Amino acid sequence: MLADFNLRVILEYLPLFLAGLRSTFFISIVSIGLAIATGILACACRISGIRLIKYPAIAYIEIIRSTPLLVQIYFLYFGLPTLGIRVPEIQTGILALMLNSGAYIAEIIRAGINSVEPGQIEAGVSSGLNYVQRMRFIILPQALGVTVPPLLGQAIVLVKDSALLSLISVAELTRAGQTLTSDRFMPSEAFFTVAFFYMCIYFCLKALADWSQRKLIFREAY
Amino acid sequence: MKLKKCLSAFFALSLVMFFTGIGFAGTLTDIVNRGELRVAVQSGAAPYAFVDKNGDHAGSMIDFAKGMAEEMGVKLVILDFDWDGLIPALLSGKADILAADMTPTLKRALKISFTDPWIYVQPCIFTKTGASFQTLEDVNKPEVTVGVLLGSTGENIAKQYLPKATIKSYKGGGRMIVQALIAGHVDAGVNDDLAVLTVLPDFPPNSIRLLDKRLGQGKDSLAFGVRHESVNLWQWINLYFETIRENGTYDKNIDYWLKGVDWKKDH
Repeated sequence: MLADFNLRVILEYLPLFLAGLRSTFFISIVSIGLAIATGILACACRISGIRLIKYPAIAYIEIIRSTPLLVQIYFLYFGLPTLGIRVPEIQTGILALMLNSGAYIAEIIRAGINSVEPGQIEAGVSSGLNYVQRMRFIILPQALGVTVPPLLGQAIVLVKDSALLSLISVAELTRAGQTLTSDRFMPSEAFFTVAFFYMCIYFCLKALADWSQRKLIFREAY
Repeated sequence: MKLKKCLSAFFALSLVMFFTGIGFAGTLTDIVNRGELRVAVQSGAAPYAFVDKNGDHAGSMIDFAKGMAEEMGVKLVILDFDWDGLIPALLSGKADILAADMTPTLKRALKISFTDPWIYVQPCIFTKTGASFQTLEDVNKPEVTVGVLLGSTGENIAKQYLPKATIKSYKGGGRMIVQALIAGHVDAGVNDDLAVLTVLPDFPPNSIRLLDKRLGQGKDSLAFGVRHESVNLWQWINLYFETIRENGTYDKNIDYWLKGVDWKKDH
């Protein structure tokens, strides 16, 4: 089986894989950026005391977390056009990943904020700090240290989830593997290469996570 | 310590060889000795192979496979796979025969052997009933997007005959293209006419129409696949089709499943 492994074919399709890698990279970066923004916004609404914005945020987070990403993608791609909204593939994909990761990120940030002991907030109150000052000087600096590692974990999940976009005809990394498989019937070569490139992205992000954690711990010590 | 390592490596290696050895059967004699014919089908590809209302496997290819198992005097085991899973299933020995609506191509034949074609289909262009396209030239424009199935002959034909059009390839059954067409993500689709006609009843009536002229030089063949080394099985399947063509079983199958739509009532 291993003797049949055909490196030459992988080289022949390498431009296709690199184009897919570029596409996956672009989609992931944009989606992660938008997802973090969505997450911050959703979390702010979620922890707010105003019911009018708190309950929609809870609904959004719970709906997203209780349904599979694939169903969300199909809903956006095939369901929305029946309501008269038609979004092209790549934008649909980015939107789906943004909404999906945004909900998880909102919960990650909320957990980070909740991890700060209530005693410290009380101390802040008695020192005469207002809400914004308490957030800025007490809660957020500590929450950030707790939040960043799971946030990067979520980013890694998002990169891997972007593989699902191949199902709505987005030419990303997994699609390159599917193309090689259907052209030449070489699934082991195709998906080995795809897996290899995903691993490359993963290790880059992991290095970033480790680096940021060292930086944050360093800052916390002072 | 070193000896222990060597031993465990040897053990792991022999275990791997043992399991690959088990999977590696599949010639005609093996099937008869085993008492089981394993056929890999693409699930959800009506009318070729699909799961019907009662949860049973049904379809034209399923009936052919049943006939084969009966002639061999063995039990039939149907294995459901997604398109991408079909070839690995065959090559790894999980299945003896690959029965899908697959067109033999020279590239594909480098990996598996195809039997003689059992039917011919024709790729066609289809579009929404209201669209203005009438001929190939109307569709062959840069602003027209055409939906195809990834890796299908429809995809190759579309690239060949509609070089100017923007092509989007979808994964999954023929329904995906019609779905994308109805949702407005593509302006037209290319697939074999039989596959289009059989999924139409699932969509609003008169929403889709086929352009009159079919694409391609001649007709597109569909064939069963076996592993390269299963030469005797390959010959046996060819003989099987020759036999059922003579005794009328073949025509009955084709009339029921592919020419008519009566099967929709029964399944």
